[in-house]
Amino acid sequence: MDLTLSPAEQEFRDTLRAWIADNHPGPEPEGDEAAFAFRRDWQRKLNERGWAGLTWPTEYGGAGATQVEQAIFFEEIARARAPQMANVLGLTMGGPTVIAHGTEEQKARFLAPILSADEMWCQGFSEPESGSDLASLKTRAVRKGDEYVVNGQKVWTTFAHQSKWCMLLARTNPDAPKHRGLTYFLMDMEQDGVEVRPLVQITGEAEFNELFIEDARIPAENVVGGVDNGWAVAITTLMHERAGLAFALQARVQIALSELADELRGTTDPVVRQRFAQIAIEAQVLRLLAYRGLTRGGEPGPEGSLGKWLWADVNQALTTLAMDVRGERAQLADDAWTYRFLRARANSIEGGTTEILKNIVAERVLGLPRA
Amino acid sequence: MNFDLTDDQREIKRTARDFLAARYPLERVRAIALDGEPDPHWDAIVELGWPDVAELGILELALVAEELGASLAPSPLSAHWAAKLLHPGLEGRGTVATWAGAVPHAAGADVIVVDEGSRLLAVTGAEASPVRALDPTRPLYAIRYDGGEELARDERAWQAIAVMTAAEAVGVAARVTRMAVDYAKERKQFGRPIGSYQAVSHACAQMFLETEGARAVTYWAAWALDHDPSVAALASASAKAYASDAAVNVARSALQVHGGIGFTWEHDLHLFLKRAETLARAYGDARSQRERVAAELL
Repeated sequence: MDLTLSPAEQEFRDTLRAWIADNHPGPEPEGDEAAFAFRRDWQRKLNERGWAGLTWPTEYGGAGATQVEQAIFFEEIARARAPQMANVLGLTMGGPTVIAHGTEEQKARFLAPILSADEMWCQGFSEPESGSDLASLKTRAVRKGDEYVVNGQKVWTTFAHQSKWCMLLARTNPDAPKHRGLTYFLMDMEQDGVEVRPLVQITGEAEFNELFIEDARIPAENVVGGVDNGWAVAITTLMHERAGLAFALQARVQIALSELADELRGTTDPVVRQRFAQIAIEAQVLRLLAYRGLTRGGEPGPEGSLGKWLWADVNQALTTLAMDVRGERAQLADDAWTYRFLRARANSIEGGTTEILKNIVAERVLGLPRA
Repeated sequence: MNFDLTDDQREIKRTARDFLAARYPLERVRAIALDGEPDPHWDAIVELGWPDVAELGILELALVAEELGASLAPSPLSAHWAAKLLHPGLEGRGTVATWAGAVPHAAGADVIVVDEGSRLLAVTGAEASPVRALDPTRPLYAIRYDGGEELARDERAWQAIAVMTAAEAVGVAARVTRMAVDYAKERKQFGRPIGSYQAVSHACAQMFLETEGARAVTYWAAWALDHDPSVAALASASAKAYASDAAVNVARSALQVHGGIGFTWEHDLHLFLKRAETLARAYGDARSQRERVAAELL
């Protein structure tokens, strides 16, 4: 066990830190469209340096970096309070899935525009009737000649209104058991059969969307990982989401924690001190588990579920404490913590509910019988 | 950056596990702790070199401590470590008194390091009389003494003691989590293993989360004591706070999972519960350690 950075890791960190200091675009502008353009510009700048797809193989435009370097990257971004990249779903889920399961033609076609943010990606997995029981989804894709015709409805599709491509999970074989009849498609969002309706969430924003799909067309060459093999491919995507995003998310928890520490510095209220300390300790545990997962190597496994679960707990506790210390002022919706508190309510639901994550830990890690 | 233990560290942990499993099966633990049989293994432990804290890094000691906790060995080793960390020149076997009313393994100790708050003393020839301990595997004594040699205060030693205690708590939590999971697989009610009910399986998942979290923060703290003094105070307090809570949460929840059988004297679970409750209070409870964390960060 050695928790110091190797000379190469240290050099990477120093180079990165200096580069961020020179290129930091300043605070993010308000408003969805402005913030999106800002994050896209930032991603392009990083991509010119080869860092947008940091862990992607160099042959696909990545930097071939290690998981630890990726972690250092997220920590340095967090430390400098630099913006996120725009195409986060393409970078952390879509790209890695195409790299793992895609054909050479798909890699040549899809990967570069993900890195440059010329083509944004969204994820069409959840449906109104299929949340935690994702494999029960009903959206149908029927082959007609060289293409598939798709009908159905998707929900919680983040970035759908900005996206060119959708990672779509649809049923191709209604007679097979539910996990075996699904196929993973890359669907062009720019067509008449796809209608995007913003879904206003409890924060008042429309970060998510509903997708109404009516006779949309997908060429057969946009199947990823084989027909009726979509569940296995989707699991890759979800595991990458939990492992990769978990690290980025824990880095953001550290920022929020340091902001809250700045506000609370010198407080003598023993209850607040206890609660803050407990959250700081759990945030540290989250960071350590994330690092431990990264340095074990290989594909992310079910242990990644622990990180996602703990992250939700910690972020909710943190934002709740921030609300509580506001006292009467917490009745107002006038600062960043109000938004963060409300937004954190979704943390234990999005990307796998805490209950599902507990099932995964119980069944796949501890070997308990299925519910 | 690498979180995996080295081959040497793995070997130390495996040696400790095998040694303790061979000498302290739970029947033996019960015989020593409950029936008053003597613990015959101190000499063998001395022979392995474990009592000499200077020979091993804090992480290596923590790995042995974790196995001590998992085995529930009624050995004076961890009490001795605490004394030796505070008083490196100590000859023979030692223990530490943070309160004269409950000193672990004081009978037969050559030196007792007494923390009087304002000063730290190395006491020899103290009179030790047994008191009823919550945890019978860690016998307690009230001591009377008349002065002693004053020792220099050493914050790092207290931090190391907190980490070793956290490591023992991790061992308890890990063993108890296994017991609960095994029981949940085997025990059937309403025709199904109780582990197929989410009320039970989610409780087990929570045990696993807290155990893994406690292990990660404890190893980090142990590593920091040897390699990164700038975070040692924060890390050791974090480890003791989190592992204390983890051990008691896991033990209490495991008792619930076991149902009535877990409440019986004949079942071993209460021995682990009592060790967890005791370790949680020894050398700074979670509340006092969280205050240290707050003092570091606020």
